[in-house]
Amino acid sequence: MFKSLIKSQQRQEAFSGYLFMFPTLLILGVFLVLPILFSIFLATHRVQILGEVSYRFVGLRNLTRSTADPRVGIALRNTLEYVLIVVPVQTILALALALILDLKIRGKSWFRVIFFMPTVTSAAVLTLIFMWIYNSNGLLNNLLEKVGLPTYNWLGDPNVALKSIMIMNIWSTAPFFMVIYLAALQDIPTYLYEAAKLDGANEMDRLWNITLPLLKPVTFFIVVMGIIGTFQLFDQSYIFSGGSGGPNNATLTFVLLIYQYAFKNLDIGYAAALALVLALIIMLVTAIQRRLFKDEKAN
Amino acid sequence: MIWQSFGRWFSALLAILALTACTQTHSNEIATLSLSGWQSSPTERQALEQILREFEAQHPQIRVRFEVIADQYMDVIKTRLIGDAAPDVFFLDAFEAPLLMQHGVLEPLDRYIQPDFDLADFEPNLLNAFKLQGTIYGIPKDFSTLALFYNRRQFADANLSNPPQTWEQLRDDSRQLTLDRNRNGRIDQYGLGISPELARQKFVAQAYGGTVVDRRGYAALASRRSVRGLQLIIDQYRQDRTAATPSDVGASSGSEMFGQQRVAMVLEGPWAIPYLQETFSDLEFAIAQVPKINRRSGTMVYTTAYVMNKRTRHKEAAWELIEYLTNKTGMKAWGEAGIALPSRKSVLAQLGRDRDPLYSPFVKGASYATLWQAGENLPAILTHFNNQFVSALLGQKSLQQAMEDAQQAANREIQAQNY
Repeated sequence: MFKSLIKSQQRQEAFSGYLFMFPTLLILGVFLVLPILFSIFLATHRVQILGEVSYRFVGLRNLTRSTADPRVGIALRNTLEYVLIVVPVQTILALALALILDLKIRGKSWFRVIFFMPTVTSAAVLTLIFMWIYNSNGLLNNLLEKVGLPTYNWLGDPNVALKSIMIMNIWSTAPFFMVIYLAALQDIPTYLYEAAKLDGANEMDRLWNITLPLLKPVTFFIVVMGIIGTFQLFDQSYIFSGGSGGPNNATLTFVLLIYQYAFKNLDIGYAAALALVLALIIMLVTAIQRRLFKDEKAN
Repeated sequence: MIWQSFGRWFSALLAILALTACTQTHSNEIATLSLSGWQSSPTERQALEQILREFEAQHPQIRVRFEVIADQYMDVIKTRLIGDAAPDVFFLDAFEAPLLMQHGVLEPLDRYIQPDFDLADFEPNLLNAFKLQGTIYGIPKDFSTLALFYNRRQFADANLSNPPQTWEQLRDDSRQLTLDRNRNGRIDQYGLGISPELARQKFVAQAYGGTVVDRRGYAALASRRSVRGLQLIIDQYRQDRTAATPSDVGASSGSEMFGQQRVAMVLEGPWAIPYLQETFSDLEFAIAQVPKINRRSGTMVYTTAYVMNKRTRHKEAAWELIEYLTNKTGMKAWGEAGIALPSRKSVLAQLGRDRDPLYSPFVKGASYATLWQAGENLPAILTHFNNQFVSALLGQKSLQQAMEDAQQAANREIQAQNY
């Protein structure tokens, strides 16, 4: 009797609990779970979407097709190259900028504002401005020529096109991470530095043994966000190449390839399969990072 | 980044909602038609809007809302067709027509066409581009061919009096027209401006009897004959160094680099005439037919049609609009703007374009031009061609190798789509 009363009370509590969560569950279900399930559905089907809509189950054929698609390989290679160069450079640059701005220099709040400017400007506008700078007769080539360095066809040469995008992206995202580093630097208690000073530690010792170790969680966050952001590179290479990924597939990134299959070829099933592959890659990389990070913590 | 893309999706959603809301709120008497297209210059839009106002004055029960899609026109149109938010009437390039005709998203127009519309007046090649199995899906609104634009002052400076007649002459002239004025090793003026795109080079590939797409719809880029024609372009660019692409000289299009006098010759269409006259008013240019390759005349012809969305709810009104824009008076008004040539033979003769020194090379080209259309796989083939042609142009591989790679990649993609 008593037990069953408790049970019914528990059930009632559970019910009202779910009732409270219902709006959130509904929104998450419609906008998060359903799209994920639908994209898995699409990835296993051959979808005819223009005119008469039809779905035909093809199992894993879309995935096997991607292994034989040379453009997938190119896109993956470009994206990886991009991630491997951009993430370390922008992280180190962000840290360096933050350390400099954390020093007691004159007008540092002005420097903060100026450094932060690229981040608040829209990516599309930045890309267009950079396309002017990169133009064969543009600012950058004129500068290089003046100081006697070789000039490049930054937009048209497949060997440098991706690098042009890298430079631009590092320049525009490093300040964002710099602000995060700055906030973290301000959180490091000053007594640690004072104690170290008393023990005779010089500036370098303090940087290596206090600042960097205490910034580690923030660095982890910045690297993860950087990797996710760089894997999803789309707008810059889209505007650079007018949507083609050219010259000669040099700026073809994975997301741009997905876009091309989905909206140019209307091959929705295949595009969904590729999107799943990208999601898996990002999850895998993040999981590996977490493992690395955890190991260090245990030590 | 995440909130940015969320915001983008959200605004896209709002736009779709707004669009669907708009189309559902018309009254019974007045039909509002949406018409979508692109614009090559502000002049083009003004000219078309002028004609549309006259149409509305004559048809008080129909309103027309003209919308310019500025970028990635076909991607936008296809996505809207899928989402059931496509315009009632829209421009369609012949090159993309096979795909849309095949998928049955266009309204067949045969039953609307009355005898007095005089279908026989249209250039048959242009009309055929919008026919599938004898059914007409679009009425060609105009056409453009390519011709040789040349800078008269630069020609005079190089002691050249006449434009080249053959491709060999063109290459000789290009050598004389290529100048490094301050001798710093960077060339200031090139002979020929080239666009490394299949849309511009298809006739070159066919000059020695090659084909680009075979009968089954597969790419045939690497045949000896196609490569022989295209090799002319590669050789001029790599060996003579007398040709430049727009990105080499920091321009965004062929007509821009010609206008900036970075190249002395360029192959462009009539759309460049109003652009050059307005933007570079002190430029002295003239136009000639494309020089003969392999003793054969050749050029490209591009055509655009008005087509009707099959799902439109105002079919009769939509046809009235198409009819008005493409009948003899409507086409004459449009042709006078000078962006493209009218697709009706009678209007072409009436406007005297064949006697106009600026336009006659384009009109003459129409008789031997290659139509920019080749089945529904051409969009896929084009991407691979453009990619590989650039790598041949930059000397990363031989043209033969590049075309074989392009052909293989394109055919693999076409095959992969059919499972």
